[in-house]
Amino acid sequence: MPIAVILGGGFAGLTIANKLAIKLKKRKEVEIVLIEPADLHLYEPGLLYYPFNDKPMSKLEKPISKILRKNVKHIKQKATKIDHENKKITLEDGKVIDYNCLVIATGVDLKEESLGLTDKDNVHHFYSAEATLKIREALKNFKGGNIVISPSTVPYKCPPAPVEFAFLLDEYLRRKKIRDKTNIKFLYPLPRPFNIRVVAAKILKLFEKKGIEFEPFFNYDKINTENKKILSFEGDKASYDLLVIIPPHEGQDVIKESGLGDKEGFVITDRETLQVEGQKSIYAVGDCTNIPASKAGTVAHFSADVIVKNMISKLDEKEPTARYDGKTLCFLVTSSSKSFLLDFSFKKEPRKIGLHSWRIYGIMKKLFQYLYFGGLITGRI
Amino acid sequence: MVDYEITISIDARGSFCPGPMMELIKAIRQSEVGDFVEVLSNDEGSLQDIPAWIAKAKHELIDTVKEADFNRFIVKKTW
Ligand SMILES: Cc1cc2nc3c(=O)[nH]c(=O)nc-3n(C[C@H](O)[C@H](O)[C@H](O)COP(=O)(O)OP(=O)(O)OC[C@H]3O[C@@H](n4cnc5c(N)ncnc54)[C@H](O)[C@@H]3O)c2cc1C
Repeated sequence: MPIAVILGGGFAGLTIANKLAIKLKKRKEVEIVLIEPADLHLYEPGLLYYPFNDKPMSKLEKPISKILRKNVKHIKQKATKIDHENKKITLEDGKVIDYNCLVIATGVDLKEESLGLTDKDNVHHFYSAEATLKIREALKNFKGGNIVISPSTVPYKCPPAPVEFAFLLDEYLRRKKIRDKTNIKFLYPLPRPFNIRVVAAKILKLFEKKGIEFEPFFNYDKINTENKKILSFEGDKASYDLLVIIPPHEGQDVIKESGLGDKEGFVITDRETLQVEGQKSIYAVGDCTNIPASKAGTVAHFSADVIVKNMISKLDEKEPTARYDGKTLCFLVTSSSKSFLLDFSFKKEPRKIGLHSWRIYGIMKKLFQYLYFGGLITGRI
Repeated sequence: MVDYEITISIDARGSFCPGPMMELIKAIRQSEVGDFVEVLSNDEGSLQDIPAWIAKAKHELIDTVKEADFNRFIVKKTW
């Protein structure tokens, strides 16, 4: 019986596994296997709001067993090596799994330790549940001063997230009545706060209105924790009382070990077929790829359709013709109740209509968790 | 005309903005003062972004050569 293996069960892997399971429900001729060490799935987009509220993190979590369809076998382990010549995957305990078709969905590895920081340094982020609880405490204790926000590398997950964080932080400090005692500085590696120029211009206008200082071309070099300064490769520096830095992102060790990645360990993937370079039986989806699209759930969602269609075509011995066009849909939060809706692809910039900051979009972003668990990750939409 | 020998050459053709600029930044990080780094890019945005970054970081843009369907940027690491 052919075996379809999905390596990594985050948003992308679970979506693919469930979509395949739905399509192949009545055809029992394929075994679907998911390799994922975790028991719980975290709704990452929710992390953006949690530094500013008191809700328990458990509200963002759901057991994988409740998300995954019954006709998918879940192997709770980490993979250490993909032998693409012999179509075998080695697991941490030494066991070997065969595959006929493989989908890599291993996400990114956050290299927090490479920053060399301790809890006392007042340097935080909101890209994991643990870190989000810490930044929540730091913000509670914050009485005024300089807050500096900066990504340490590009690419990082969800390109607008640091900008959105800055907007929500501005609102939070106003609520706490310490905004007038606080400078918010946004340091960015690129010349604009968003890659697409029309969107960047809108953001800069709002930054100005809200008194958020923007500094372009600030590529992180190091942090001097003793005198609380962040230094850039361009030779600039900024003082902070609280520093929000998005940790460096790299591909996972299993990709590096298997020779399927670029210099940073991101899987070398064709941006249209989503096939791994030189590998007819391997696809890659989600944050783990090197395609020039956002590292975002929405990209994984639209890519998943393409991969599943092509896998079914191959099973039916037909030409796999589905292609990914870079479609990305993204709500960019500008306050707790408003957001822009951006709809773009490789060839299409966001339309003007999507650039209005509407309340309805703000509400939709907040309610998105229901759609995420109810329809998207279950493979129904 | 500056006499130079390219130390690192990066072919960023096919990579989209900000890819070529980020590739250049990475190469400059890895090179020595006085090295000449070359980036090939067919992304139109690079024509603005790469010179702007070089000016900001106070390195030297030695030349921008227009080839048939891409641009070649030659940069000297000055510090
Ligand atoms: C704060 C924040 C806000 C965000 N907001 C949005 C948003 O509004 N909209 C949006 O579209 N996206 C958003 N994102 C991005 C989105 O969450 C990610 O793009 C998405 O989760 C990517 O899914 P993935 O499956 O590719 O990676 P992940 O969800 O990271 O999953 C990767 C999985 O692979 C597993 N894995 C890794 N290595 C191995 C191995 N060796 N063996 C087996 N398994 C392995 C991991 O355990 C993990 O479960 C946000 C992200 C953050 C951090």
